[in-house]
Amino acid sequence: MQRVPDRNFDALVTPTKLHRSLYTDPNIFELEMQRIWGQAWIFIGHDSQIPNPGDYFTTNINHNIPVVMIRDKDHRVHVLHNRCGHKGAKVVEARSGNVRGALRCSYHGWSYRFDGSVLKIPNETGYDGTGFDGADPCYSMQPLAQVQSYRGFVFATLSPDAPHLETWMGGARECFDNLCDRAPEGEVEVAGGVLRYEHACNWKFILENLNDTMHPMVVHESIVKAAEQYIATLPADAAKQRREAEIIPPFGASYENFENSGITGFDFGHHYDGGKTSIHADYSVDPDYHAAMVAAYGEARTREIYAFNTHNVCFYPSLTIKCAIQNIRVIRPISVDRFIVETWSFRLKGAPEGMLQRTLLYSRLINSSMGMVGPDDLEVYRRTQEGLASPSNEWVEFHRQYGRDKTLTDRVIGGGTSDLDMRTQYKAWKGYMEGTLFSQHRTSLHNGE
Amino acid sequence: MSVIDREKISDFLYEEARLLDQPDLDAWMTLFTEDGTYWMPAKENQPDPLNHISHIYDDRVMMEIRRRNFIHPRSPSKDWPIRCSHIIGNVQAKAASEPEGVIVVTSNQHVVVWYREEQRVYAYRGTHVLIPTQNNFKIREKRVDLINAEAPQRSLTIYL
Repeated sequence: MQRVPDRNFDALVTPTKLHRSLYTDPNIFELEMQRIWGQAWIFIGHDSQIPNPGDYFTTNINHNIPVVMIRDKDHRVHVLHNRCGHKGAKVVEARSGNVRGALRCSYHGWSYRFDGSVLKIPNETGYDGTGFDGADPCYSMQPLAQVQSYRGFVFATLSPDAPHLETWMGGARECFDNLCDRAPEGEVEVAGGVLRYEHACNWKFILENLNDTMHPMVVHESIVKAAEQYIATLPADAAKQRREAEIIPPFGASYENFENSGITGFDFGHHYDGGKTSIHADYSVDPDYHAAMVAAYGEARTREIYAFNTHNVCFYPSLTIKCAIQNIRVIRPISVDRFIVETWSFRLKGAPEGMLQRTLLYSRLINSSMGMVGPDDLEVYRRTQEGLASPSNEWVEFHRQYGRDKTLTDRVIGGGTSDLDMRTQYKAWKGYMEGTLFSQHRTSLHNGE
Repeated sequence: MSVIDREKISDFLYEEARLLDQPDLDAWMTLFTEDGTYWMPAKENQPDPLNHISHIYDDRVMMEIRRRNFIHPRSPSKDWPIRCSHIIGNVQAKAASEPEGVIVVTSNQHVVVWYREEQRVYAYRGTHVLIPTQNNFKIREKRVDLINAEAPQRSLTIYL
């Protein structure tokens, strides 16, 4: 373990290389939790998970800080620290549910309104004359520093200095629009439950893998071959009816195909691959769904919505979404070599039920811990975690197409097999860790850049 | 078969377990009917496999694909040998309300799995829908309700 820098990470992150300690050093992990997960907007949940007053959903905002998302009687959504203002017990224990009247701590019975303010302290006269001030916000279930949502996707941050959520999302926000616009009613809702997948490796591997298009044809070769070989033995009609035949084989797409899909990077570490095309672009369109879309938007706009086809969109560091599939994966670190991925699926409001079934099929085939793709990805992350214990080379490189990225007004674009996604996320990683990301952003706005 | 022969049913479950323990997926698959399915829900009392996420929901086509992938030399997660030990108990069988002859068997199964230098334990409530054949049974549905279906799961590359 080497000494972790405080304000200058030049020795660990260069434009083309990362120091291996980023994946292995527990002290760096602790700093990441404070400076990246403690500053960035972190995805908490979707407001459709809590449709009614008193509905709640609990999670952690980083590796250990418990929070609860809850809807109040005026239908406003709050994200509160899940900590009793009294002795510190977690107030809400279940993962989700509904609470009537008030939140009540199971230890000494302090109760709270759904906005986190104290409702009642039992036997309160014992505090008379003690200097205790029950109106002090420190005794409430405190709201997170900032809570904002975009098209139902609720984010919170521990940082009062984070820019507005939409500013932070930048151009990547269009991907949430595309996901929701794929619903004839323009809205999505969580449906069909969640898969939770434990990963015994550093949390950053999955974010690096999302738009690493040099790996699928290698890591996923076996399942592509197994699927293609078997499907080829089926009668043509039977093969056509198999949605698996659309979902699995594109993981074996060529370098050229992936190169053409392109990668786009944004401020604050967000990135996606695809846009004009992606490995999801050639899925057949359900005729009933298409009819519902055309009725809602007209033919031209419908085509435009389909045509924006991304693969993975990463909102650094906690969320990745698949617009064309309507599923998302939520990342939560646990320790330097452990994290959890949750896969949630969405119903397109106004679409036939078959669309949700396709989403669930995809989540099950690709993202399940018992699926066709996820375990092979995790296996190579784990090998990397183990290999990086070797001091033979202190660095992990990402030179691909360095110097060829094109900077546009609000984004950087580059080749689909480039390491633009790595450059994008590690620029943000360094900015968060050095504590300069938000101030630099404000300065560049001030200077009209 | 009008009387349910529990010993014969138990023997069938033991034989299935033996094939999974090895594992011999080629032989295991032949225990299923052509329309047979294997389902591992991701939620307690999950009502159906299509409108809620599952860990696995395979028909024969997916079993064929999984079986080929299992032995493919270029699947990194399959480089590690996997061995299992099933213990089956609490076997109960009853005739399905329909169609005639179909038997619904429930059992408790504890599976110790050796994979990636680590030994793990799974416990599940198994439900087999069995179709009697001339001398034996075929599986039309196998449902695996893990007692920790909602927990974060580690990679699993084999059927339980």
